[in-house]
Amino acid sequence: MSEPTNTGTPQVPETAAPEDTKRTPSDFLKSVLGRPAVVKLNSGIEYRGVLACLDGYLNIAMEQTQEFGLDGQLKATYGDCFIRGNNVLHISSQAKRKTGL
Amino acid sequence: MATRILPLELIDKAIGSQIWILMRGSKEVVGTLRGFDDYVNLVLDDAIEYTPDPNDRTNIITKKLDAEILLNGNQIAILVPGSGGPDSLAQQQQQQQQQQS
Repeated sequence: MSEPTNTGTPQVPETAAPEDTKRTPSDFLKSVLGRPAVVKLNSGIEYRGVLACLDGYLNIAMEQTQEFGLDGQLKATYGDCFIRGNNVLHISSQAKRKTGL
Repeated sequence: MATRILPLELIDKAIGSQIWILMRGSKEVVGTLRGFDDYVNLVLDDAIEYTPDPNDRTNIITKKLDAEILLNGNQIAILVPGSGGPDSLAQQQQQQQQQQS
């Protein structure tokens, strides 16, 4: 079995080695995985819960999920839920957050 | 020949500084840029979100997001590096008016 070799396809040159100050989206996703987070959708609805699983499309599997409507009121709770990535506006690590809005 | 600057280089230079993000659909976000990727997904610190009130579009709802966020790139329209956003813009205009009078 042959080793996979570099095919030498032209690639966009990577920007210089990542500095300590730099934090790419994939670094962020790695750091929030398994932690409590807030996911806000384009519609304005927020989901708070533990990020169980993520992928590059921002598809998200969440546990202990609480759904908050536009007015900030708790609308529903789900044990497990899947959020399709195209709806995601932003993901926020919940570190310094209060439980209310 | 003048040196060319790639768009993503411009964003790269803004890492660590304030950035003003205009989204599709009249949302705006201001925050400290920590990093980004090829899709222009952004990692932001101390982000402030400006959303027009759905009931009264002249009223802008300001929301501070204390934690680090990952902002989805597919809703982003314009990035303004080094700008503090609508609030600081209003302050600048006030100062200019005061200087003129």
